[in-house]
This record gives sequence, structure tokens and C-alpha cells, in this order.
Amino acid sequence: MPSPLCVLLDTSDLRVFNCVVNTFRHHPASKYSANIYSPNRSRLPMNLLKLETGNASFDHISDGGLPLGRTTLVAGSSGSAKTLFGAQFLAMGIQLFNQPGVFVTFEEQVDDIRKNLKSFNWDIDTWEREGKWIFVDAAPKEENIIAIGDFDLSAFRIRLESAVQKCKAQRVVIDSIGSIFTQFHEEMHTIRRELIQVALTLSRLGATSIITAERLEEYGKITRFGVEEFLTDNVVILRNVLHNEKRRRTIEILKFRGSNHEKGENPFSINKENGIVIIPLSAMNLKHVSSNERVTSGIPKLDDMINGGFYKGSINLVSGAIGAGKTLLVANFINGIREKKERCLLMAFEESYEQLNRNAAGWGISFAQLEEEGLLKVICIYPEISSLEDHFINIQEVVESFKPDRIAIDSLSALSRTSTDKGFREFIIAFTSYLKHKEITGMFTSNTPLLAGGTSDTEGNISPITDTIILLRYVEMSGEMQRSIAVLKMRGSRHDSSIRKFSITDRGAEIGKHFEGISGILTGNPMLIKLE
Amino acid sequence: MSIHVFQLFINGHSLNSVETVDTLLKICRENLNGNYQLEIIDIQKYPEKAEEAGIIAIPTLIRLEPTPVSRIIGALNVRSRVLAALGISSMLNKV
Repeated sequence: MPSPLCVLLDTSDLRVFNCVVNTFRHHPASKYSANIYSPNRSRLPMNLLKLETGNASFDHISDGGLPLGRTTLVAGSSGSAKTLFGAQFLAMGIQLFNQPGVFVTFEEQVDDIRKNLKSFNWDIDTWEREGKWIFVDAAPKEENIIAIGDFDLSAFRIRLESAVQKCKAQRVVIDSIGSIFTQFHEEMHTIRRELIQVALTLSRLGATSIITAERLEEYGKITRFGVEEFLTDNVVILRNVLHNEKRRRTIEILKFRGSNHEKGENPFSINKENGIVIIPLSAMNLKHVSSNERVTSGIPKLDDMINGGFYKGSINLVSGAIGAGKTLLVANFINGIREKKERCLLMAFEESYEQLNRNAAGWGISFAQLEEEGLLKVICIYPEISSLEDHFINIQEVVESFKPDRIAIDSLSALSRTSTDKGFREFIIAFTSYLKHKEITGMFTSNTPLLAGGTSDTEGNISPITDTIILLRYVEMSGEMQRSIAVLKMRGSRHDSSIRKFSITDRGAEIGKHFEGISGILTGNPMLIKLE
Repeated sequence: MSIHVFQLFINGHSLNSVETVDTLLKICRENLNGNYQLEIIDIQKYPEKAEEAGIIAIPTLIRLEPTPVSRIIGALNVRSRVLAALGISSMLNKV
């Protein structure tokens, strides 16, 4: 039998490579018998072992973490947070599981990486001193490099191996592999051949590893230099797409051979406390419990219209033009917590705290007192201060600490300004499923652009996933603007189908009789119909 | 004539390493007239030295003198280029 290594030297062709691996596998004394390049992966059970990365959101979408003892290719365009992804993998390993790690840099200088990662509160200096984090510096040097004749990367492999053995590393990050092609740009074939060797070394060492690679387009070939040809089993793609003048970061697990994971792109955000935080879209699915318990809307007449109140844990949308009484309904919804001593979180994106307080006081509702009793928390922020993903993460953090039973958002339309349509739709899906998961009753408001009739884009996105939709519309009648209220839909319950008069008084909201003999209110063209 | 100082990193008895050592010794013998220092470092025995010097490729020849310091990787099989890279000019030899 010819030595398999000789075969390898001849080519970088994948098919030949697989043959070589097979030779390894069938060789009785082979160390590579459990090699990750096994082409017969499909016979393995779907519950391949995973290593928890420590990034909760990634572990969630990857169904448990990265494939244990294997190499995962993380590909992304420049600025897509590849380095951070890798560094976080190591940092979390040390922080949470006391698993040492090796960070190989082919691109950035070690000092720069140390500096850049400081802002995430990862104490790399200390970890380096304790021998938990080792840098292998393979970044380009200032010195001139001239290539004359054949070479290999055995020095790099030996350094990598000795670093892994020195700290008993369980995690390895190589960032980024494309740079080595640029360092030795004349010797593409050599580098490809050598990278296969590096991949084999990694799999022999048994560490769970990440190799990052550049891509030139967000949607296209996986990597710039085609490294996916030999790092093919596990691929994660990071994207940073510019759309309508807004950046949107997403992560996609393209494949984890022999294992379950979320499909498609999930948006993510980067913040100082947690590094990369992924917002799982389909992760929470529709398994949440549906309660039969009702909670009051704060307006007895409205409770009657919806047959006894909102369902606990339901998502309720109030749609209306400016001044139609949306915030009033929100104020009553908040006041409704008194009945069962619930807690409520109000996220106000349109009005200031003082404004809200004054208006609520005008309707006989005291936010200040509710806050004093610890039942209410009001957060007023401009939607533009951060991205939608960050808002979502912030809201989640407040929800985790305050543990509200209700949440009111006034208004969703303001929030939708900060994102693309697609991003907003994803946010709504993720957010509502999060709330349902937590059994929090939600009231969202949305602005309609027209005074009478009409719907808004925001509603188009949200209405299919809401449980109740309440319409507040102006009705122009005999030279007078009147307000109306109607329940458009309510899932799992009977509801009043009439359009009723709605007025705002000193005592708050008043719901009157239904508009008799008038049609066309919702289209914005009310007409009197003569009754026989 | 200035002194030439080189460091050569090799990996045990790999084909490239053996070939490079032979080629380099021959070039030095023929051109430098004993006026050189050459340190050969086997990274199998001294991996920490490879780490220190940030060596990735094997073989790597570091030219410390004459300055500027430069690195030559590969089996040195194009003689004229090697001479130039090592700072051994045939014109200098004639003088």
C-alpha cells in the first residue's frame, strides 16, 4: 500500500482526499479511524455530541452547541463579527466551563486582538497568565517574505499542537484562514494541501474548533478561497447586510452534518455585556400554553365587548389614527393590573415620562402611585437610539429582572422606524413568541396614517400573530368628528361585532351605543342608511 | 566583506528540509568563503524557538545580516534568486 501522505502531496482534489481518508480509516493501525471526514455520516444517529459554547442564544439555535471534537467553518464578509464569534467561543469556555483555549491569528496582530476584546470585559491578560488562553501568532510580520521553492506549514502545525497540549485546550479558534492565502499568494496549491493537514491535525487533537474564513459576497460562494471544499461538515455563515441604509446582522447554520439545528437566518446583535446575542426566530415555536384565564382591559364596557377580558398571555393590538385614544386604552390596560395585583412594564417610544404621567392623570389614572407600589415600570426611550435587535435584548433583560405579567408598547409604529420591513417582521415574531412563552399579556399600539379608515404597514406585519385587534377610528358625521371603537377579531372567544361610539372624558374612556344606521366607517366614508 | 548571519528552521528529516540544508551549505561554501554564521534549528526538537520567531512555513531561512532582516521560505531551488535574497551578489564577489 502506498503511503497515503504521498498521495496527498500530489493534489488538493477532494475526491482523492476522501480516498486518502478512507485509506486511513481502513488501515488497522490508523489513528484516524474516527476521523471527522467520514463520508458515511448519514448512518450516524442525529444526536451527535455537541459542546455547549456558553453563548446561550447560539446553543439554542444550534440545538446544543458546536459539534464536539470537530471543526466548524465560520464564514463571513469583512466586519461580520467572525473574530468576535471565535473569541467569544473561547472566552465563554474559560468563564463558564473552565475549558482552556488556543487562539490562532493569521490576520490581526495579537496586541490588537487583546485590545479589541478588552471592551467585552474578558480578562484575557489574566487568562494568558494562568495558561488558560494561548495565542499562536501567525499574523504577517513586517519583514519581507520571499518564497523560493517548495515548502509546507509543518512549523505552524507543530506550534499549534504544542500550544494545545501545553494548556490542554478543548477549544481552538483559527482566525482567519483566508489571510494565509494572501500571505503566500503565489502558492495557492501548497496552502490548500497544507490546510488539509491542519484540519487533520485539529481532528487528531480532538479539540472543538472554529476556523473562520472570508467571503466576498453576502449571498454566493461560501468562502473566498474555497476552503469549504475540505472543511465541509459544519458551516456557519455570518452576514452583515446593508438594506435600505440599515445594517442587519444575521447568523445562519448552513449545516451541521448529522445533527439538528435551526434552519435559515437569525438576526443577531452585539453588545458589551454579552457579545453576540442571537434572536431566535422559530426557536420558541408554537408550543406555549394557552390560558383560559381572563384579565381585565381596565374598561368594564370593553371587557363586555370582548366577553370578559383579554386572555392571559395574549397579544392585543390597538390600531388607530393620531389622537384616537390608543394611549388611553394603554393607560387603562395598565390600570387594570390593580384587579389581580399584577405587574406591568410600559415601553413608551413616543412620549416622555412627564407627558405620559400628565395625560394619565387627566384620565384619573396615577402612574406614579402604581410605580410606588412596585406594580409598574415605565421606560421611555427614543426608538432611534439603538437597533431593533438591541431594543429586543434590552426589553428581554428588563422582563427577566422585573418579571411583569403585562407589557404595553406605545407604539409599535415608532419602533418600526428603526428597521427594515423584514427585520421588523422578524422582531415581531420573535418578540410575541417570547411574550407567549413567558405568559405575559401584551398590548401594542399602532398608528394608522389616515384619520378615518385605513390600516398601516405595521399592522400588516403584526395582525396575523395577534390574538385581539381593536380598531379606534374617527367617524365624520354631520360636520363632527366622532370616535368609534370596534373589536375586529378575538381568537378563541366571542366578541361584540358592533362599531360603538367611543369618547374621551375627564373620567377616562367611555364606550357608548353602536352607530345605528351608518355604514362605511371602516373605509373612511360613513353614510347614513335610512332604516325602514 | 561583511559577515552573513542566517537562521534556518527545518522539520526533522523531511524531504524539503534535507534538500534545503544541502543547498544552503553548498551556496555558502562556494560564495562566502567561511565568512558566515548559520544556525540550523530543528523545530521537532525546539518547537518553542519556532513559536518565538513566529515561524509558519518549513523551511524558513531568516537573513539576520546583512540587514534588512528578511525571510526566505521554500527549498531554495532557484539558485540565482537565492543568491540575491541572501545578499550575495556575484558582482561583489568579483571585486
